Parts: sequence; C-alpha cells; structure tokens
Amino acid sequence: MKKSHSKNGSWFRVRRSLSSRSGRLLKLFSFLLPLGLWVLVSYVPFIWHPDIALELSADRSGSTTVFTAGDHLSKEYFLGFVTTIREENVGVLEERNNSEWNGGSPKFRRTNLKIIRHLRPLAIANNWLSAKEAESDANLFAVWGKVARGEYSDQRRSLSLENKTIIIRNWELMSQQGNLFEVKKLPLIPLEKLVPQGRPSNPVYLPAPDQVWQRFREDFGFFSESDRSSMMSRYGHSLKIVFLGFLFSAVLGIPLGILCGTFDFFSKLVEPFVDFFRYMPAPAFSTLLVAVFLAHDAPKVALVFLGTFFQMVLVIANTTRRLDYGLLEAAQTLGAKGFGLIRKVIIPGITPSLYNDMRILLGWAWTWLVIAELIGVKSGLTEFIETQGRWRNFDRVYPVIILIGLTGFFTDQILASWRKYFFPWTEEAAQETRGFLGRFFSWLLDRNFYYGKKSDPGNRIL
Amino acid sequence: MKPPSMVLPDYREQSPETRQRFEAFYKRPVKLRVEGLTKSFDAGNKRIRVLDRLNFQVYRRELITVIGPSGCGKSTLIRILAGLDQGTLGSYLLEGRAVSDPGSDRGMVFQQYSLFPWLTVKRNVMFGLEVSGKPSIDAEKEALQWIDLVGLGGFVNAYPRQLSGGMQQRVAIARVLANQPQILFMDEPFGALDAMTRSQMQAHLLEIWRNVDITIMLVTHDLDEAIYLSDRILVLKPNPGRIEEIIEVPVSRPRSPEQFLYGSFLSLKKHLEALIHPHKEEVVKKSPMVRMTDKYDRVE
Repeated sequence: MKKSHSKNGSWFRVRRSLSSRSGRLLKLFSFLLPLGLWVLVSYVPFIWHPDIALELSADRSGSTTVFTAGDHLSKEYFLGFVTTIREENVGVLEERNNSEWNGGSPKFRRTNLKIIRHLRPLAIANNWLSAKEAESDANLFAVWGKVARGEYSDQRRSLSLENKTIIIRNWELMSQQGNLFEVKKLPLIPLEKLVPQGRPSNPVYLPAPDQVWQRFREDFGFFSESDRSSMMSRYGHSLKIVFLGFLFSAVLGIPLGILCGTFDFFSKLVEPFVDFFRYMPAPAFSTLLVAVFLAHDAPKVALVFLGTFFQMVLVIANTTRRLDYGLLEAAQTLGAKGFGLIRKVIIPGITPSLYNDMRILLGWAWTWLVIAELIGVKSGLTEFIETQGRWRNFDRVYPVIILIGLTGFFTDQILASWRKYFFPWTEEAAQETRGFLGRFFSWLLDRNFYYGKKSDPGNRIL
Repeated sequence: MKPPSMVLPDYREQSPETRQRFEAFYKRPVKLRVEGLTKSFDAGNKRIRVLDRLNFQVYRRELITVIGPSGCGKSTLIRILAGLDQGTLGSYLLEGRAVSDPGSDRGMVFQQYSLFPWLTVKRNVMFGLEVSGKPSIDAEKEALQWIDLVGLGGFVNAYPRQLSGGMQQRVAIARVLANQPQILFMDEPFGALDAMTRSQMQAHLLEIWRNVDITIMLVTHDLDEAIYLSDRILVLKPNPGRIEEIIEVPVSRPRSPEQFLYGSFLSLKKHLEALIHPHKEEVVKKSPMVRMTDKYDRVE
C-alpha cells in the first residue's frame, strides 16, 4: 500500500479528510491521550503530586485536629506538622534531662500507649501484622521491639532513620520492665513521638487508575454477586428515569414541534412561551416537582421531561421549517392538501433530521439525570456517587461517572450507525459503511433492502 | 474582415403548411384563458406591479413558451397559474372554470426537480395517484407505464440521489404526467442541466408532447429552446410586466436539431434577441484596476 501521509505536512491539509487509517489512529489517540495523561500524573512521582499522604501520624499536644495514616496534607502543612512534633520531642528530652517529672506520673502511660499505637498503619502496610493482629497492643509492642533490634529487613514502607533512632531510644525505656507488654509496666515518663512520615501524592480527588480499576471490580461485583445486582439495579433505575423522561417529552414534543413548524398559528401561539420557559432551569423546579408528584420516581421523570421538552419543541419546529418548501409546492401541484401534506411530505421529509435531533436531545436528557436523582429520595447511580463522594471515596465515584458517560456515548454511536439503515435515501447512506458496528448492520440489513437486487444499477448512475 | 452578410426572411413569413397548421390551431378549444391578470406587491412605500393586465389564451395541445428579460415576471406568471401564488386582480379560467388553489389538474415541473428524496422513482411517480385515492396496485401499474415513457424503466427502485440531473427531471415529468393534468407548467425545467443533457431533454419533451394528450406552458430564458419547442412564444417585458408580443413560430413541425440553422429559425431568434436585449452592453471603461488589452494586441 502506498503511504498517503508520508509527504511533509499531509496530516494538516485545510478542510481535507485524512485517510481512513490515519483517521482510525487519531480516533484511538483521542482516548489514549487523556488516559495517558492520567497515568503520567498518577505514576510519575515528580509530576504534580502536590500533597503528602501520611504513612505515620502523630498527635500534637494542644491540637484537636487529628490526622491518621492515609490522610492527605499539603506539603507546606506537612512540614509544619513535622517541625511541631520535632520541637515537642526536643522538649521531652530536655525535660527528661532536667528530671522535672520526679520519676514520672501514671498519666503519661496513656499518652505513651498512643505513641505505641501510631506505628500500627506502618506495621500493617509492611505486613508485619495483619489488620486483625494490629488491634492488639501487645502485638504492636512486640513490633516496636523487633524494629529496635533491627529484625525486619523487608520494608515496603521504610521508616526514616530519624524514626528508627526514636524507636530504639523509646524501646530502651519501654523494655526496662521486660519484653512483654503490660500497661502497668509502661514508662511513667513521656516517650518521644514518632515523627510524621509520608509520601508525595496527588490530591484525594485524583486517585490513580489502578485504584479506580480495583474499586470498579469490587463495586461492580466482580467478586460478589450481591454487589453486582445492587449496582445493576441502580443502573437500571437511572436508565429508567432518563428514558421515561425522554419518552414523555418526545411523545408530546414531536407532534407539537411539527405543528409549530408547519402552521404559523401554532408557532406564534406556542413558541414565545416555550422560548421563555426554557430559560428557567429545570432544577429550579425540583422542590415544586416533589410537592406535585410526591415521592418516588415521578418527580425525577418530570424533571428530565422539563429539561428536554421545551428544547425539543423549538428544535423540532426549526427542523420542520428547514424542510425544502419546494417539496410542499410540488406535493400541492400533485394534489396533496392539508393533513395529507403533513403525513406524506413533512413527516417523511424531516425524519432524518428529526432522528439526529433526538440523538442530541437524548444527550440533554442524560445531563439532567444527576439532578433528577438528587431530588426527593436520592436514588440510582447518583445516590452512590453522592454517598461515596461524601466519604471522599473518589476512587469509587469515578467508575460510576465513567459508566454514565459510556452509556450516553455508546447509545449515541449505535443510533448514529443505524441512521443509514433507517434512511437509505440520504446522502450519508451512500457513503461506504465503516467500522465494526457499521459492517455488522450492513451484513444484517443489506440483503435486498434498499438497492433491490445486487444486479441493480448501483450508486450514482451516470 | 466582415462576415458575409446573410439575408434572413421576415420572422412573420410562414410557409403554406405552417399557415395551414396555425389556421387549424386557432380552431381548437381554448384550454386556458387569462384575463386582466395583475400582480403587485408593496416594496417599502412603493407599490410594484410585477404583472400588468395580461390577456392571452392557450389552446388545447399547444406548447407555448414564455420568455422575457430577467425580472419581467415570467416565473411569477406561471406560479400564479399553477396556484402557488395569488394574483392581485384579474382571473384565469381553465376549461372555462375559475381556479385559484394548486391542484392536480395543473401540473408543475420545477427547475430544481423537487423530487421526494425518501421515495424511490416508482413511489415518486405514484405520489399523485395515491393522493387522489387510487388503489396502490393500479397506481403502481400506471406509474410503471409513465416511467417507461420517460425511458427510466431500469431505475424504478432507485432513489433520486442516485440519478443524474436529467434523469431526475424525467422522473419529475413522469410524476406530473401520471396525474394527467389539463395543462403542464414548466418553470425553466432544463435550466440546471448541462448543454448536452438539455438538448436531449428538449427532444425528449417534444416526443412526450407528441404522444401524450397534454398542453404545455414553459418558461425559459433560452431563445433556442423557446423556438425549438413551441408553437407560439409569449414575450414579456419588464417594469411593469406586460405582453410585448405573442409570436407564431414559423419553423415547421416536426422539429429536429437541423432546424437550428434554418432561415426562419434564425430570423426569429434575431428578432427575439432584439426584444430581450434591446441595448448593447457598454464596454468596460479603462481603469487602472483592470488590465485591459492593447489595441495592437487584439485577438480578432
């Protein structure tokens, strides 16, 4: 095959299409590019990563704000946090040397126990303890001992040198009364705190692809049947709201739009108000809709209806008006009158454009879904997004958002690829069928459907 | 060198056969009678008369052509007669009946074909028959005959977009003829076609007109077409649109392309030329913007 785009600059020709091969390549890239960007930002450490994800935390004396491992802090805040703890440790050592405590006080046992527990997330992350084992203070105590003696070699989340020496120093104090844990045997003077440790990370709202993928498999029931069915019923519910709302607005909007586009009477009577009404955002009516339609799905469907209906009337009226008036004149000179003109000329004439309009309007209906599901009793996919988002589980939110996007996208793509089979007389039906879906449907429908027999004169006679 | 001067007969001179033909012609019943037809509309504060008190008759089986300079209202006239526009004053009678709305008794062929793109050739031709309530089996049978008549028997199941301009116009003609109208109006029917196809279509139209019982009134701006096709030519002049002259074409029938060079043909063409383009266009004055040719540089 000859390389069509080997010539310099042939990727950029004004208003000229690329070859189908280059076109396919670019279509693929249009998806790979954002995905690649996401991967880049997530996995290359020096790109962005404005936050610190805590691996080890500490309690600051006198501060009520408590951070635990896994929390995200900004880098500046983290540095301040570390400095505070270091200063506190210096204070502890100084006061210990001044022996101000006179052999100590039992109240320090409680704070010391907390310090011991701060090692827990790291112990779990490094598989030194299972989550269950780590609940026991005795096990944690033993871990301190092992760390101090340098018994762990494999460390996924390594301790800083600073923390290692703190642990060794603390262990000396802790183990004075024996290697076995007992609250009563804990030192009576304060231990040094572990200095907060963390790794650069992206904000919590941008989880990495693998996290999202993992969550997707959990939530969409790759591992559990009940998760799957619950997610599927949410999905089904969302689909129902969109399609019912869209269906009602189509059932009313299409005839009204056609009437407005056909008769100036209806156009003048209906369109000014519709034009005004569409500027009132549908969500503004949400409480009203709940009051009128009460609970359950009715107000949600009504909101999708409100959001699409008024646009639909105007769009369809315009589509109807765009029909070549010459066709109506021709039909009149052939004897068609009144309703016959609508039935035999206007409706068949506008259907291809109408079909496209409906595709675009279905996209509109999808945009109202999220708001519709928030009103009244929250439901469907949006309830999931809302709940998980509130818990800042954004890695669980993304798969659902993407699901909504994919549903809309594929619905539209499928409808677009069907167009030429519904309307074989249009110009675009003459163009070659492309893509997997196109070839599939042409195989399904091409048999004697619109060109009669294969031997008939084909496209473009003469 | 001057071209050899050619002596042309007077365009009113008719051969004995032609004179006989016209004598018989005027004895035919009147198909369409137009009386005092006037069309005016408001443009700003002025009232413009597009058509001013037109009077003429069209005889049965006549092929009459309307020509005139642009803006003389020839398209308006034909649209009024077809019922697509309304006249301001005056009346027109089809077979003695006054008509005003569009109807299947007056067919119309448009320059842009105006075929229904969602219907196959066959269904397009069946359209008028189905509207008039004919059972679709009969309608189909009739439609196929008309399609054969215009020579598109092989394309009954094609969609309009698959056909060339000339073929689309033939479908449009078949579609109108299927209704068997009293009179067929054609508004610059071949204006959008290339020269080759146009002359084919003209011959084709003459053949149809010879074989089918139909009266045709055709608007064109092509003088050759007007002379080649018609019995009589109705010349309009603009501002306001009035009838300048109704000319009996002296060229004998049946017509053939060789007649383009007949003296009678050329003399009428010369006359029409003078009627429609009365002034010679002025030569563009020399201006620094335009690179004009030098007088030593003339090509003729």
